Amino acid sequence: MSNKDLSRRSVLKSVALGAVALSGGTALNMAVPGTAQALVRKLPTQWDETWDVIVIGSGFAGLAAAAEAAGGGAKTTLLEKMPTYGGNSIINGGVFAAWDDKWHYREKLNLGADSPAQHWQDILKGGDYYSIPELAKEVADGAADALNWVVEDGGAELRPTVTRAGGHTAYRTHAAKSGVGREYTEALRKIAAKAGIKPTLNSEVTWIWRADADPKSAVLGVEIKRGKKVLNLRANKAVILASGGFSQNVEMRSAHNPRLTAEYNCTNHKGATGEIHKFAQAVGADTLQMNFIQLYPYAEPETGLLDAQAVYPFNGPGYGILYVTKQGKRFVNELERRDVVAYAQINLGKDAKPTWSIFNEAMILPMGGDPEEVAEGLKRGRFIKAESITELAGKCNIPTDALVDTVNKYIQYHKDGKDPEFNKPITPAMITLEKGPFYAIPQWPAVHFCMGGLRINASGQVIDVFGSPIPKLFAAGEVTGGIHGSNRLGSNAIPTCIVFGRIAGRNALKA
Amino acid sequence: MLKPHFLAIAAACLLLGAPLAGPARAAPPGDACTACHPDLSKTLPQKHKAVRGNGMASCTPCHATGQSGEAETNGFSTRLHLTHVPPAVKGDCAACHRIVPGKSFGLIGQPFSWGAPKPADLKLLKEEFASWANSDFTDHLHAKASVDCAGCHGKGLPTSDSTVENDRCLACHGPIEKLAGKTRNVEFPKRNPHSSHLGDDIACTTCHHAHAASVVYCADCHRLWKMSIPGAAK
Repeated sequence: MSNKDLSRRSVLKSVALGAVALSGGTALNMAVPGTAQALVRKLPTQWDETWDVIVIGSGFAGLAAAAEAAGGGAKTTLLEKMPTYGGNSIINGGVFAAWDDKWHYREKLNLGADSPAQHWQDILKGGDYYSIPELAKEVADGAADALNWVVEDGGAELRPTVTRAGGHTAYRTHAAKSGVGREYTEALRKIAAKAGIKPTLNSEVTWIWRADADPKSAVLGVEIKRGKKVLNLRANKAVILASGGFSQNVEMRSAHNPRLTAEYNCTNHKGATGEIHKFAQAVGADTLQMNFIQLYPYAEPETGLLDAQAVYPFNGPGYGILYVTKQGKRFVNELERRDVVAYAQINLGKDAKPTWSIFNEAMILPMGGDPEEVAEGLKRGRFIKAESITELAGKCNIPTDALVDTVNKYIQYHKDGKDPEFNKPITPAMITLEKGPFYAIPQWPAVHFCMGGLRINASGQVIDVFGSPIPKLFAAGEVTGGIHGSNRLGSNAIPTCIVFGRIAGRNALKA
Repeated sequence: MLKPHFLAIAAACLLLGAPLAGPARAAPPGDACTACHPDLSKTLPQKHKAVRGNGMASCTPCHATGQSGEAETNGFSTRLHLTHVPPAVKGDCAACHRIVPGKSFGLIGQPFSWGAPKPADLKLLKEEFASWANSDFTDHLHAKASVDCAGCHGKGLPTSDSTVENDRCLACHGPIEKLAGKTRNVEFPKRNPHSSHLGDDIACTTCHHAHAASVVYCADCHRLWKMSIPGAAK
């Protein structure tokens, strides 16, 4: 640590201590927006509830953390600010990337090899090497175990296939039987329930209590709003932040990434507003890479919803799905990462909305699709079905000649094993777009995931601005930053949340 | 508006042998129905048997007070409140209630207390009662069905952070499968607020707010769906 850092720290510390001496119990804090000046909030003199471990947020990471903490014997509470549990996780697309040594769908379908090391390298490359390697390694190494945990202990069910998703070099993406993240939130909820945990809803954290910025000064607890009551909760062992990202907070996201104004739709639930990031920063936590915010390239164009059908374009590339503009032209290598596919669309201009994914019947099951889901999608107009490409073009209002020409070329590229236009790697598992019936689904990017967030170490501890772990403060899931660099590969969110949720929960026991 | 009528209170208390509520100076306007209803027999239903006395204590031996904790309909409390709070009349709680702020809340002439609401709680109670008696919200829908506070909140006075658990709602409206049947969308069976991807144990109060406008939570994300809910803002 440099002298400059040391002196800054001692200044911050002495300011905090000075305030303590004056008031006899002032919390380390910056101004509460609109209500107070710096250093005027007093630490609670009494606590309304006392716990060993307080977990904030009931998505994948929070449920996993609470299950581990409570399972290890800690008196644990799981707080959720929304009136329903599960946050973004319960409406997530249900895709789970894991090298696997148990279910063997990859082997059964003869889809080649994979390993945790390969998964790790994909994460690093997919994020342009902005990832912190040891954090990414935890995800790759722990993914299979996390998958086995939700399946074996939680009763989650998988569809009998794996897909190769954009940016991944292996067929390792598992699909939930129900087609959505609820498959795993329900599994985790069951696991947590066995340890006596039930999410406490409508409980919004409004402050994190810490006395000063001394590296030995532990986080003490949190202030929450429950109904009209304000309560102070003491955490004897740990506070675990698993509050998710800030995609729904237009002001915050555009402050870090000015392009992402309200003009963009968002796939997230309403609660993904990022205030916990700020409370953590106010007690000294460091953040990183807050400007790296992902757009989901295939959201429902009008509302930004990521429904079960909007997962098909994501799952399709490994089996030969085609993306075209509304002029019927390809615009990107379909096997590209989400950021590339999203910005390839945005760069076409606003008038280009929507673009289309086109696939055929033969691709549906391999790419993790489900006939019932397809039928439902057709019924409500999400999918468009036709017996021929000509008919499909007509139904989608795409110029027929252009689409027929694009599809013919695309078929030829697959036969040749080479894509001279966009350099898509052609694999033997890809199905040529020759036989109908054909399907189309419209798509457009919507703000989806925050790669940046709170700085943590491989033990899930939150790191302060000077580089020291903040005692008794942990974080897991989308609230953390630095695991996925500039771009998270699709289907890496669930393993990340569960792996780091478990790490935080287990380490909280020792805190 | 009832006027202070100390003699009537004193008389009622003597008659019923109950202690005076608080200091006489702060005594409520009167336990006497006759202050406003000079001839009680004209106010009571025709077939009602003759009443001795003229206060609440004359009623409660036969009529349960609505604080039984049961989810009952058409309770005495409901009927009495609907006719004695705005917009029916510009009623004063203290006409019938023995209130010592922060200490007790009961009926004049009767020793029991249902809670110890502070002035802020009392203000809230009055507001919620006004909403219950006349609003576009779920509370008024319950009032019209003769369900009062206790119907949802159970024993004791609700407080500012009271909420109502699903079991309570389902006691009358359940089981959840029945509700799911009522809101079944024949064309799109998955589009059912009572059997959604958020699970069957979602809190009823997620959408159904009693003293404020109810909102369809689904519509937060599913912006294109046209769904209605009773008790929504007009």
